[in-house]
Amino acid sequence: MTEYKMFEGCTIGNRIPFVEAASRKVFEILNIQTSQAPFSCCPDPTGMKSFDNNAWLTIGARNLSLAEEEDKNIISLCNGCTNTLRGVKHQLKHDSSRKEKVNAELAKIGKEYKGSIDVRHFVDVLKEKSDDIKNAITKQLSNLKVACHPGCHYMRPSEWMESDDPMHPTTLKEIVTISGANIVDYGVEALCCGSAVHNAYEEHGLQILKEKLDAVKKSGADVICVNCPACFQQFDTLQRNVSKKFEKEYNIPILYLTELLALAMGITPDEIGLKFHRIRLKSVIEKLEL
Amino acid sequence: MIDFEFRKQVMDYHMGSNIIKYCYQCSRCTDYCPVSKVTKDFYGTTGYDPRHNILNALLGYKEAIFSSDPLTIWGCTVCDTCDELCPQNIELTEIFTFLKNESITKGEGPDYLYSQAKAIFENAKAIPSQSAIERRRQQLGLPAVATPNVKEIQTLLRNIGSDKKLKEE
Repeated sequence: MTEYKMFEGCTIGNRIPFVEAASRKVFEILNIQTSQAPFSCCPDPTGMKSFDNNAWLTIGARNLSLAEEEDKNIISLCNGCTNTLRGVKHQLKHDSSRKEKVNAELAKIGKEYKGSIDVRHFVDVLKEKSDDIKNAITKQLSNLKVACHPGCHYMRPSEWMESDDPMHPTTLKEIVTISGANIVDYGVEALCCGSAVHNAYEEHGLQILKEKLDAVKKSGADVICVNCPACFQQFDTLQRNVSKKFEKEYNIPILYLTELLALAMGITPDEIGLKFHRIRLKSVIEKLEL
Repeated sequence: MIDFEFRKQVMDYHMGSNIIKYCYQCSRCTDYCPVSKVTKDFYGTTGYDPRHNILNALLGYKEAIFSSDPLTIWGCTVCDTCDELCPQNIELTEIFTFLKNESITKGEGPDYLYSQAKAIFENAKAIPSQSAIERRRQQLGLPAVATPNVKEIQTLLRNIGSDKKLKEE
């Protein structure tokens, strides 16, 4: 049995741990085994990379080296962490002078980056477990209309993410479909949630988020399903800011993919802390008769 | 004015090639950029414009990039859409990373980036652990987050010189 090193990332681990709770429960049911490692920040591909690419490479390579020491692949719960760790591997594979420099720095703390392990996004691991997911569903979510938002860094840049079609992603939809839920196409699935620009220019981030929310609302979806904590935070925390700024009511609840699957596998909303969402899930819970 | 040193840095930055010089300014990047869409005016004369950044970068017009509104550089939301749609396979976001790194070194980046780098320097995490969240993790039956080695991260950042870019708050 393959055991992965769990990379939950800063946001899930230290801000929205209920997403980790749902993920661990689903992994347990699907027999996806994980263990912990003292990983640092990945670091953030929209933050630290923009701050200092060399620091981003070196800290990322150090994280990879921790998994390499145990000869285990990483499973990441976050688009950003996956993007960083795969991006670092990509840069170091194709640029030997950068790799030499990074390893010269790592040597000073007794570490070495080899490039020997793989970094998997949990969505891609779940895709391979489609049959197991199917067998684990105890509650068909056939009442539920779901708008899927995979998020930029799950599939872009395709050159190093190697996961899904970069502009017409389908994997998230395919997995949600197994739960019995109905996919609602809203036309701008591949559009950014606005997270990174929001950190520098709040108004532009909210404007992009509004474009998404308007499309989802028009589609009549009951819930938005995501697989990235930055997107989750953008939708769940900032939805009210968009409502306030543009004087428009949205109130669309968000479910992380593993939360949605947990509900379909008979796990109760209390067990996975759904009450900690900012946008209340009352409408979803009533609709699913949970 | 052309800054030849800057131009060389841009050319060298693109991994393994100077493919950026094959840009023929078709404007697909700007046409599909979500930030351009929400910031450009009717005539397209203001707002965030990735096509314009690539043009100025490959011509070596450093001043044009760094002396204008910081939105010129920091409007990029790192969605990587332009990278996918560029017919010449230019990795625009990597060039924009270089521009952002330069802006940070000049001390001209957004506050958020300095705060995040400081958090990583001090805690090895962009979001440090908090007692309220630790309690919540326990309630949810989760193990404690494995504690990262802050000293090692600080050593790396000091040796690279990243610590000098941090700002006092």
